[in-house]
Amino acid sequence: MNLFRSEEHIQRWLGGRDPGATITVTKICELAYAWWGDRLSADWQPHTRGQNQAILDTLGLVGEFWRLP
Amino acid sequence: MDQPGLDLRNLTYRMFVELGRAPSADEVAGTSGLSQDAVLAGWRRLHDTHALVLNPATAEIRMANPFSAVPTSYRVHADERWWYANCAWDAFGIGAALHVDGHIETSCPDCREPITVETLNQRPDDDHLLFHCLVPAAQWWNDILFT
Repeated sequence: MNLFRSEEHIQRWLGGRDPGATITVTKICELAYAWWGDRLSADWQPHTRGQNQAILDTLGLVGEFWRLP
Repeated sequence: MDQPGLDLRNLTYRMFVELGRAPSADEVAGTSGLSQDAVLAGWRRLHDTHALVLNPATAEIRMANPFSAVPTSYRVHADERWWYANCAWDAFGIGAALHVDGHIETSCPDCREPITVETLNQRPDDDHLLFHCLVPAAQWWNDILFT
């Protein structure tokens, strides 16, 4: 899970491997705040699979690649 | 997760933030009143439920996501401290968890040129960068260190 300068840099780094998913840095930042924002809360509870999937879905991260087990 | 597990998990995270590094089992035992063996057993249960990640070789904490206990290529300055994150996602997650803006330093895995990102009001200051996730979500925990 890395940051790259551009799509060209991603493709060169992949070097022929199957690509995963590419999203904007703004989207991963949004995901981070939604996913990790409660991590240090005194009343923290583990996220359920459904809660985590809802975070992904709400941000438009849908499709087989973003489907949690 | 039962209440003792939650208590141990929350104490471990709190000590991580207070110390600026992963606490040892001995340090957590000293603060919690548990034995060191009880802390290690509790951490193992938390590892098994993905609440933290242990170093497979030493049973010490390797990840208290989004924080990394070991140096990585993602350094984050947030809340007046430098932290290591496990990946780009976690790099933004450190500011999110601490509820502060952050400054991220890393490098492009392709060209090795430095990349710096500031977050201001939960938004990155450079929206040209891209995030690539190689592993599908269904497989993230198959090998979390690789993911």
